[in-house]
Amino acid sequence: MKNDKAIRLIDRALRQGRKTLSEYESKQVLAAYGLPVTREVLINDRDHLEKTVQKIGFPLVMKGCSADIAHKTEKGLIHVDIRNITEAKKAFREIMAGLAGFEGGVLMQQMISGRRELVMGLTRDAQFGPCVMFGLGGIFTEILRDVIFRHAPLEPRDALAMMQEIKGHKILDAVRGMEEADKEILADMLITIGDIGLDIEAIEEIDLNPVIISGTKPFVVDALIVLNSN
Amino acid sequence: MSGPVKKDGNRKPRYPITDFERIFHPRRVAIVGVSAEEGSTGFGSGIFQAIKAIGFAGEICPVNPRGGRIAGLTIYQRVLDIPGQVDFAIIAVAAQHVPGVLEDCLKKGIAGAEILSSGFSELGTAEGKDLERQIKDIAAKGIRVIGPNCFGIYCPASGLTLLPGPDLSRESGPVAFLAQSGGMAIDLAHTGKWLGIRFSKMVSFGNGADLREAELLRYLADDPETQVISMYMEGIRDGGDFFREIKAAASKKPVIVYKGGLSRAGRRTVASHTASMGGSSAIWQSVLKQAGAIQVHDSEELTQVTLAFAMLPKKSFKSISIIGGGGAIGVAACDIAETYGIDIPPLSPDIQSRIGNFLPKPGSSAINPIDVANPYVAPQALKEILLGAAQDERIELQIIVSLLFHYQAIARLFQKPVAEITPYRELAQAVRDVVDQTGKPVVAVLPNAKRGLDDMDITELIALTRQEYIHRGIPVFDELHDAIRAVARVNAYYEGKKT
Repeated sequence: MKNDKAIRLIDRALRQGRKTLSEYESKQVLAAYGLPVTREVLINDRDHLEKTVQKIGFPLVMKGCSADIAHKTEKGLIHVDIRNITEAKKAFREIMAGLAGFEGGVLMQQMISGRRELVMGLTRDAQFGPCVMFGLGGIFTEILRDVIFRHAPLEPRDALAMMQEIKGHKILDAVRGMEEADKEILADMLITIGDIGLDIEAIEEIDLNPVIISGTKPFVVDALIVLNSN
Repeated sequence: MSGPVKKDGNRKPRYPITDFERIFHPRRVAIVGVSAEEGSTGFGSGIFQAIKAIGFAGEICPVNPRGGRIAGLTIYQRVLDIPGQVDFAIIAVAAQHVPGVLEDCLKKGIAGAEILSSGFSELGTAEGKDLERQIKDIAAKGIRVIGPNCFGIYCPASGLTLLPGPDLSRESGPVAFLAQSGGMAIDLAHTGKWLGIRFSKMVSFGNGADLREAELLRYLADDPETQVISMYMEGIRDGGDFFREIKAAASKKPVIVYKGGLSRAGRRTVASHTASMGGSSAIWQSVLKQAGAIQVHDSEELTQVTLAFAMLPKKSFKSISIIGGGGAIGVAACDIAETYGIDIPPLSPDIQSRIGNFLPKPGSSAINPIDVANPYVAPQALKEILLGAAQDERIELQIIVSLLFHYQAIARLFQKPVAEITPYRELAQAVRDVVDQTGKPVVAVLPNAKRGLDDMDITELIALTRQEYIHRGIPVFDELHDAIRAVARVNAYYEGKKT
């Protein structure tokens, strides 16, 4: 089954008494369901740095990854646009220092460039159960609150309607030299997020923020999965 | 539970087989809790008097352990003492006696019972919750329960009425209304009476121990007497069931929902953006839209939108004309219409010039909105103007705004009653003729700037005019904004169905 891996990851986290999955684990769950996540490798050992860099390729992003740390930006745990091995080594040192005291490692990931950032997610409503969210991402999520929800399971027409209903829907069109975003992939992603919520009751919330449109294709750049305690 | 995974699948609730015909159109009704004493103000006596006053078509069997007689009828001591079949029961005894009475109803083979009594889970006490559990258990054995803590069923065709509703209309119509709140139900029933909303059936189900929103929606979706479903909701029992049933119902007929108690802030603490963006308001809005239902935001809008769905043809009206007299109407109309995505296109030049022949000069405008410049334009001229505007093939619906309160000035000049000198019957008939000749609906708006004690004659005039319109099938609104917004909600439903 496609969700075997996802369930193993969640089981382990629950056994450890955790409420959240790390970014790396969250993306593995999403990838198990076929969502397009960034290519990435988690390392703890400085000796694995060079081999990993070769595998991912420059430019890359390095992040401190721990289920215990939510706001990485404020703690200096994110280094972006790393273009050579010297920069990579420096970032590795700083992140490991910043993680001191927390269990975790350094997440080496493909850097996705694109000017359009979206948010997708799942919340388990007390009355309706799993509801999927779509909207403008990055810093605009909280500032503009331009988001829309749908009750899972989603039909393709629901997913397409969500993209049409946000106020900033034109961001998905061909604008200012950017190509039209691939709405079919976006719709599939939204439907899949709803299916994950229906499949795995232990998942309380999912955040994919940002989902960056690179060319026409969306990539999940950061992700968080919150578990419920029952 | 075994592990974190639960396969939700497509579980469908199995509702018990229910004889709704015997519940809404009972031939014999037991009313339990009727007192033999003259002038009793108990709920049981209240509903007994109300059902008699409204002229219930079937037979009433009063019940009270003390027996006696009332209004020439024998009061039976127990439900089981009533000879022959009983279809429906109305229970209005103290809460602790309700389970016993309901058990008797079950034994008697009664199809359904409404429990008006309060004193159940709404108290939040262990005793109240336990009594409600007993009701649920008895219901599960084969009798359907409406309530407790409700005002019951109103069905104009059979003459079942809500608790304080002896004077509700007996005229049936296309609208079904559901609410937990009895107050919302009785208010809408009274408002509908003068506003021209006619009901197929209304259910106030209170605590909803047994029959409630999802199952009633399923019933109404296929009820041939119901063309429009309107509802006021606070809580729902099961979001999944509700979603499935409202979506199914909305695919068959319009469903209008006023969801009360929406707060912006979520109640629990959440860690993700997604959950913090949610909260009940955003989720409800999205879910209702996804289901194809029409959300309204207060009881006035609920009433107005229900009226529009009940009286307008089943389609959308993207382009409209507006005819009225007096300065700002044109600008205001355009602003409102744009807000709701409705077009007021300038009429074609030849139609403008034809309409111009019937307009007083100067100060009028035939563009659209059509400004007739003064409030005394004769109905015959208004008819020609409406007929003219309808010739523009883009126009799908017309709104006529009449400032009838201005007739008071003339009435006082000639020392005559305002209703005598105002041609309101002719106006309503002219509008009806236009609808018949053009096939395009007309909506009337009757603003009243004179509502004080000095101007009760205007209040009466507006009521008389409204009645003339309603008798001719023309919906009437108080304000232009109300009318345009209601049309926009109708549009949203029929446009949504196309996609």
